[in-house]
Amino acid sequence: MAMKPEDVLRAIAAARGDAICVPTMTTSPAWRTIAPDDLSIGCVGFMGGASSLGLGLALAMPKRRVIVFDGDGSLLMQLGSLATIAGAAPRNLTHLIFKNGVYHTSGAQEIPGGLNVDFVQMAKGAGYRKAYAVTEFDDFKRRLPAILGDEGPVLVELHTGLADKTPMTDRSGVPFHQQVESLRQKVQTAG
Amino acid sequence: MPESIPAPLIIDTLKDTFREARGASAREPLGWILSVPDTHQKTVLAALDKERALRVVTCATEDEANAVGAGLWIGGEPCVLMIQHAGLYASVNTLRGVAMDGRVPMFYMIGLLQREKDRDPKESRHSMVRFAEPLLDTFGVPHARLEGPDDVHRIPEYYRLSRERRGPAAVLVGLETS
Repeated sequence: MAMKPEDVLRAIAAARGDAICVPTMTTSPAWRTIAPDDLSIGCVGFMGGASSLGLGLALAMPKRRVIVFDGDGSLLMQLGSLATIAGAAPRNLTHLIFKNGVYHTSGAQEIPGGLNVDFVQMAKGAGYRKAYAVTEFDDFKRRLPAILGDEGPVLVELHTGLADKTPMTDRSGVPFHQQVESLRQKVQTAG
Repeated sequence: MPESIPAPLIIDTLKDTFREARGASAREPLGWILSVPDTHQKTVLAALDKERALRVVTCATEDEANAVGAGLWIGGEPCVLMIQHAGLYASVNTLRGVAMDGRVPMFYMIGLLQREKDRDPKESRHSMVRFAEPLLDTFGVPHARLEGPDDVHRIPEYYRLSRERRGPAAVLVGLETS
């Protein structure tokens, strides 16, 4: 049975410490509820950009862990970012793919290739330091310390079901420019 | 008549621009070059390979370069995007989403590949040269041409402008760098 994305996010919230999180698309509404007003920035307005946004954050702040909550459809929009990330080789980047096989926000149309698309093989081929899939929540909880602590870039393909909410059913998000300014102030204050 | 700009002059200008941006906290790397390799600026890219004070991240697409630049900005790191006009066309949605709507200062050096030496870019035979400035105008992106060594002062000027207006600003590299 596929993992519930909300369960995965709650487990990450409890374990992440001061890591910066970059949710996108269907993880965004749940993350806002689970981890409100914290060190996070949603990729809003440029679909597919979460992994590259996370790369920039990781390069700018090498002592802080950055966790990207990517979608399978989102990553397909900028698939070359796998090679860009591997080339830059940020040791502090964890790239999570919430794989549900569909574009949930627009009505759950299947992504190209559906669930057959293998992001683990793609990440390995691009040159990520580690890449593997997790299909069971108990296994995810057991591996979580390594997922958040291993030297990156690490990609983990999470086999998840659909989130309860999407950015279309929950429009309570803060505009991107406000998130940019808020996170910039927080990280620069923290030093 | 436009002239080619030597790569060392551009690199020294970028270093000075980054030093100014960092102020008293200047350290290495001074700044980041986010590049989707541009044939027009290839001598600069080749020289950057030997530079230790500037760090180059080669991106697969200009969309990525914009998003990486946003992350660097949030973390307080200065950067320049070195792309080609074709890459500008390919990435306008991300430019809009990140630099404009996201109010992220983003400074672009855009190579005008195939720009004819004896023509104004707006009268070029090549659509990719001809449409670059009108596209930037449409999006309200301030821009200037680098038509020769005397114009390199536009680099820090438009870099600062991107910071002041919290948005995009660009210089267009008129002739292939030397």
